[in-house]
Amino acid sequence: MAGRGSRQRACMVCSIVLNASEFYKTGCPNCESVLGLRNSQDAIQECTSQVFEGLVMLGDPKSSWVAKWQRLSDYVPGIYAVKVVGQLPQEIIDTLEDNGMKYIPRDGTSIEDDVAA
Amino acid sequence: MAASGQSWLNQDFTGDDEESDNDFNPGLEVPSDAEADDDEVAKPQASARRAGSPSDDESAADLKTNGKRSASPVKGGKSPPADDDEGEEDEGQGEDDENGDHNDEGDEDEGEDLNGDEDEDEDEEDEEDEDAVTSRPRKRRRRGLNQFFEEEAEVDEDDDDLEAEEDDLGPEFIQDTHPDDDLPPEADQDDRRHRELDRQRQLQQSLDAEQEAAKFRERYGRRTTTALSNSSFVPQNLLMPDVNDPSIWGVRCKAGKERDIVHKLMKKFIESQGSRNPMRICSAFERGDGPMAGYIFVEARRKVDVDDALTNVADVYPRSKMNLVPVKEMPDLLRVTKNKELEVGGYVRIKRGIYQGDLGMIESVETNGLEVTVRLVPRLTYGMDEDHARPGSGDVKRKRPNAFGPVNSFANRPPQRLFNENEARKRHDRFLQQNRGLTGRSWSYKGDLYEDGFLIKDFKLQHLITDSVNPRLDEITKLTKTAADGSELLDLESLAHSLRNTAAEGNYVPGDEVEVYEGEQRGIVGRTEAVTGNIVSIMVTEGELTGQLVEVPVKGLRKRFKEGDNVKIIGGSKYRDEVGMVLRIKDDKVTVLTNNSNEEITVFSKDLREATDAGGSGAGASKFDVQELVQIDPTTAGCVIRADRESVRILDQNGSVTTRIPSQVQKIEARRNAVATDKNGSEIRLGDVVRESGGENKSGTILHIHRGFVFAHNKLGIENSGIWVARCTNVITTAAKGGRITAPSTDLSKMNPALQMKGPDMSMAPPQRPGRDPLQGRFVHINKGTYKGHRAIVKDTTAGEARLELQTKNKTLNISKFDLSIVDNNTQSKTRYEDWIRTRGGPSAMRAGQGVPGSRIPDSGFGGRTPMGVMDGGRTPAWGGASRTPAWSGPGSSGSSGLESGRTPSWKGPSGSQTTYGGGGMTSYGGTGNYSTTGSRTPVWNAGAKTPYGADHGFNSAGNSGFDSFAAGSRTPAYTSSSRTPAWGGPGNAASAPTPAARPYDAPTPGISAPTPSASGRYDDDAYTPYMGAPTPGAGPQDAPTPAASFAKNANKEPLKYNRLGFDAPTPAASAPTPYASGAFDAPTPAAGGPRYADDDEED
Repeated sequence: MAGRGSRQRACMVCSIVLNASEFYKTGCPNCESVLGLRNSQDAIQECTSQVFEGLVMLGDPKSSWVAKWQRLSDYVPGIYAVKVVGQLPQEIIDTLEDNGMKYIPRDGTSIEDDVAA
Repeated sequence: MAASGQSWLNQDFTGDDEESDNDFNPGLEVPSDAEADDDEVAKPQASARRAGSPSDDESAADLKTNGKRSASPVKGGKSPPADDDEGEEDEGQGEDDENGDHNDEGDEDEGEDLNGDEDEDEDEEDEEDEDAVTSRPRKRRRRGLNQFFEEEAEVDEDDDDLEAEEDDLGPEFIQDTHPDDDLPPEADQDDRRHRELDRQRQLQQSLDAEQEAAKFRERYGRRTTTALSNSSFVPQNLLMPDVNDPSIWGVRCKAGKERDIVHKLMKKFIESQGSRNPMRICSAFERGDGPMAGYIFVEARRKVDVDDALTNVADVYPRSKMNLVPVKEMPDLLRVTKNKELEVGGYVRIKRGIYQGDLGMIESVETNGLEVTVRLVPRLTYGMDEDHARPGSGDVKRKRPNAFGPVNSFANRPPQRLFNENEARKRHDRFLQQNRGLTGRSWSYKGDLYEDGFLIKDFKLQHLITDSVNPRLDEITKLTKTAADGSELLDLESLAHSLRNTAAEGNYVPGDEVEVYEGEQRGIVGRTEAVTGNIVSIMVTEGELTGQLVEVPVKGLRKRFKEGDNVKIIGGSKYRDEVGMVLRIKDDKVTVLTNNSNEEITVFSKDLREATDAGGSGAGASKFDVQELVQIDPTTAGCVIRADRESVRILDQNGSVTTRIPSQVQKIEARRNAVATDKNGSEIRLGDVVRESGGENKSGTILHIHRGFVFAHNKLGIENSGIWVARCTNVITTAAKGGRITAPSTDLSKMNPALQMKGPDMSMAPPQRPGRDPLQGRFVHINKGTYKGHRAIVKDTTAGEARLELQTKNKTLNISKFDLSIVDNNTQSKTRYEDWIRTRGGPSAMRAGQGVPGSRIPDSGFGGRTPMGVMDGGRTPAWGGASRTPAWSGPGSSGSSGLESGRTPSWKGPSGSQTTYGGGGMTSYGGTGNYSTTGSRTPVWNAGAKTPYGADHGFNSAGNSGFDSFAAGSRTPAYTSSSRTPAWGGPGNAASAPTPAARPYDAPTPGISAPTPSASGRYDDDAYTPYMGAPTPGAGPQDAPTPAASFAKNANKEPLKYNRLGFDAPTPAASAPTPYASGAFDAPTPAAGGPRYADDDEED
């Protein structure tokens, strides 16, 4: 368990926490269609972050309030981070929005936006 | 009934026909729907219907509209145009009337009654009524199923309804379907539908799997995205938890293990999913190390689920009290605060590695904010530590893995120093590469980039400390770039900014007069009573609340001052510690006129405090004082002419004024006894009044003498605080301190180095021979000085001094040994130290004493180990020359003690001026050792070497700038003047005379007899034999002064050669010592020579 911490990364879009190798092998289980992390070390570097805080083990995303609050309800069960530090490249954000997804920054900036909205 | 039956037949027929038609359609459609449903299992029904609808035919669409109408019969009935349309139908002509009637009636009656009316009125209607009755349950059933079946099903109903109950509908239906439902082309119509449906089915089937998959994927994908976008549009405050949401329990766990626990729970959760009782928690989370350290939070419907989930998980303590998190506080648990944005120019600290804890400045930040380029002061060894790499390769291997090189431990990491390419070249040339760039000061060394001496390195965000960095001024200074002209590119503003951020709010102390300017208690004025964290208790002094204690947050508080208050600036302002008077107050900004610089500065009132100290003392305190001598760089010194808190203004030795920050300069310990010579060769010392010769003829009192430069201060001077600098040789003494006679060549005996060399030479003596000084622990009587007459115990000794503990006073002091008399413990008789040391037993004392006549000169010649030897060997001729006849006359009469008394004057001499030469003692000793073989010239060199630098210069550049260098040493007169000549003349002329060394040979006075036995005694005791022959060579140089003198005059760079010549030349008397002498010269370092003898002694 101990050695795991260093190689773990969190997806900046859905905040799921996986090992870098898992991202490489299978991509992000939630955002693969947009981010295309599988087999792309560059994309992993760009779209995932090693700096994250607050692990959430999500067993039942549908019924969990935590998931609702974190906007994870539609994601697969797994481990997520409460906060992911780092910024997605702008083109990725654009891609997300082209796909009709609203990018929720996971680094703490979104709160004000939401309040404003 | 027949009529009705007939009509029924017709009706029935058509009804059947239509029914069959309709039945057929649903028959077709329903399976197709079922297919669709099968395919789209995940698809909700509604969307399935919607998805299916486009594939339906037009009629179906029409029917759908009918269906709708069927749902609102009254409305349909109300529409007259519908009736008109219906009139077109052949079949429904009669009905039309009926309908018309019905419509008229229908307005009055309800739907069911309406049907009843119809039954009564028309047979057909009756028939249909039956039909309708039978069809009703079916219809209802269909209604129930309606939501699941396609429109075709409704078509059937509509057909029924059309005739059976809802007259309005029927016509409408007919109207809608009129073209298709005409009886004659009905069959064709059916056919067409069949074909159409078939085509559709084929079409559907022909959709290949890929397309279908793509379609589904699109739908599926859209589902995620819509979910995302949907939820994202819900503001988070609408997501607030309510009672229907699962509860969250906080559970204690081992601090630091939170993440592991979450991982474990996840694993356990996944494993339990297939099992009989799966974990029923919704989620579990941790909030790292903050206030929530040591807790994990589990979200579940029931507490039992939490217990179940947490049993058998290590490091969690579910049995301890579990806290149910109140619904209101749940969002707080997941609150995310944004990290401070890292800005270029900001400061960070490194978390690990050899730079751990070092301050770095942010050079750039990667766009994703995860990698930061930091500027650091490097800690490099340049491979110096590889030197003593132990031979074992295992060792090397063990070191390798560390990315930071061999020196990895935090404790012995190299110090912070700017990168120096020259040092890197020495050992690591192959690792060094200059980067082609504009600056040319960029280097790559061992994979790292160095610019302007700084290390430019990328760090991952997680390896940096970005919060509460609290940079210190000296660290910031180290990191500050130095411009090409040497000035610091330190942005004080940004520095102040960064410092301000670090200043805590705790700027209020009890007693401050404060005013509340914000919040409920706004306007209250009072004095602070206590400060607890961010809450200040105020004793109100004005207004209604006077005398009450009010608690106010620091935030809304400001200090209150009045114009004219004497305040001191505290806190994070860059003017910290300035003291001044309040000039203006505007809100919380206060303008202060500083006492120090008479500047007006504006600061926040929170950074002010009433000054308790009246004046500017301590304000803007610099660690330097005006007039202090400081070192700017290794070759440049200067005098402080203005010292501020942030900067020091320095007049350097070249006369230019520079401003430095205090950390850049170093104090030079003032040398109180520095001596130099002025233009005329007069001695100048600190405190002397000198005048600049030429130039501006400035005059002033000497503050410092530093390496040939004089810093002087003129009280009347304005420029540079009245401080000026000149070369020693460019000033003329106008008044010496204390009326010292400074005129040159007034008193030759004073100038004579031989004479000057007095007491201090004692302390210049070579290191003592090993062993305890016999003086230690002795009871002594002080003969001289303030404590004359006191008795004391010797606690410790050095070569020339004894550390005494007074008997009468609790005091220890250092006094020259020669000012002491040793008190005999038994007889209480006093013996002067010099006598005592000679008669005293103990090897070192013995040696010194016994060596007097015979070996004194060789001693001096070969390192002059014994103080006496040095002195006498060198000085003796001088005495002769200086016509110390009285002194000699004394010894002449008293046989063996002659030497002692002969030395006496020398003892007396030094005692007077001991302090004068104290400083240069050791160095001159070295000098002595080197050149003492030239016999009596030694003192000259000694003298010249009084100042360490003087000594060096004097020797090396005697030919070129002898004057200068000797000026520095202040012995020049002695050297240049002929005053030494008498010294030479002494031994030369009076060969038979006082030279003690010569005496043994030339004058067989008791003096000679004395040394012999002592020498022999030494031979016996100490095996000093080699030195028995030594005295002679000692005489050699004395007898052959000429070459030595020439050496001195030429200031030859190869003294050895000359010295050898000197020894080759000597008279037969000297021939004996030659080998010995040369031997001595083979060991050039006198210091080494000395000990060597000592060793020999002991070994022998």
